[in-house]
Amino acid sequence: MRYERQTLIPQIGQNGQEKLKKGKVTVIGVGGLGSPVLTYLVSAGVGKIQMIDCDAVSESNLNRQFLHHTGDIGRPKVLSAQEKLVSLNPEVDLSTVNKRLNKENIEECIIGSDVVVDCVDNIETRILVASACIKLNIPLVEGGVVGFYGYVIDIGRDYPCLSCLGYDKAKQKTPVPVLGVTAGVIGCMQANECIKLLLGIGEPLYGRMLNYDGLSGTWEEVKVKKTQNCVVHKNAEKRGK
Amino acid sequence: MIEVRLFATFRDGREKVYFLELKDFKNAGEIIDHFRIRREDVAILLINGVYLPIDSPVKDGDVIALFPPVGGG
Repeated sequence: MRYERQTLIPQIGQNGQEKLKKGKVTVIGVGGLGSPVLTYLVSAGVGKIQMIDCDAVSESNLNRQFLHHTGDIGRPKVLSAQEKLVSLNPEVDLSTVNKRLNKENIEECIIGSDVVVDCVDNIETRILVASACIKLNIPLVEGGVVGFYGYVIDIGRDYPCLSCLGYDKAKQKTPVPVLGVTAGVIGCMQANECIKLLLGIGEPLYGRMLNYDGLSGTWEEVKVKKTQNCVVHKNAEKRGK
Repeated sequence: MIEVRLFATFRDGREKVYFLELKDFKNAGEIIDHFRIRREDVAILLINGVYLPIDSPVKDGDVIALFPPVGGG
């Protein structure tokens, strides 16, 4: 009964639901993007979900990180989120990793995942996650927000990554201004991409950066291409040989 | 003509799309300067969907897309 409405969708059905149940997803970042991503993946019945975050809940998180409530301030985000998500759907196997990702531990943290969803708040970790996913050949759903704007793109070994776009050279000012609604919109799109990738349906956003403008109420697609001298892809190719 | 597409906060106080005369610009960096955007604030510069250095020359018909950095958590 729990999944009745989505199994009625022809592209999902009972077979698709079984695929979701067998799926293993890693969500990195349990904040503004992670809250909608985790809520909808758990609701949809994705079988195994691992969430990674090293931060504790702070008051300034609460305008957008709806998995965390006022009483959770000071608690580890992964534990605060796990509590609500288990209550939402106890059928899902939810595991937590409460540590900072780095070059030494990233691969062991994500290996075995069918899809990784990137919900982090800094460029360094985005590049670290994207590089590891391309090395291990794991599809990555990438999303970012600022103010009323955001984007979603899927990344894979055969498709452009953040380094292909020169994003590894970018400098970010903090804190990044974000409306909770914007993180909600983009996080929902990330969850949708993740479900498509798990089911092998639709047209994933590989090589297509989908940009959201909440002020004008528009979406625009920008086609992006792999760069020949991308260090991340070159390293992955060397490893594959 | 060169088509310039601005994204995210680069749209604040500006339009989404501009069409510029090629003769006024030698490279992508000069186009960024034209919009009074600091070059170091550009996270992604795409010319026809491909990342290229900021001093890359531009030609008639190019589509340039400019993005600022984004956050997440």
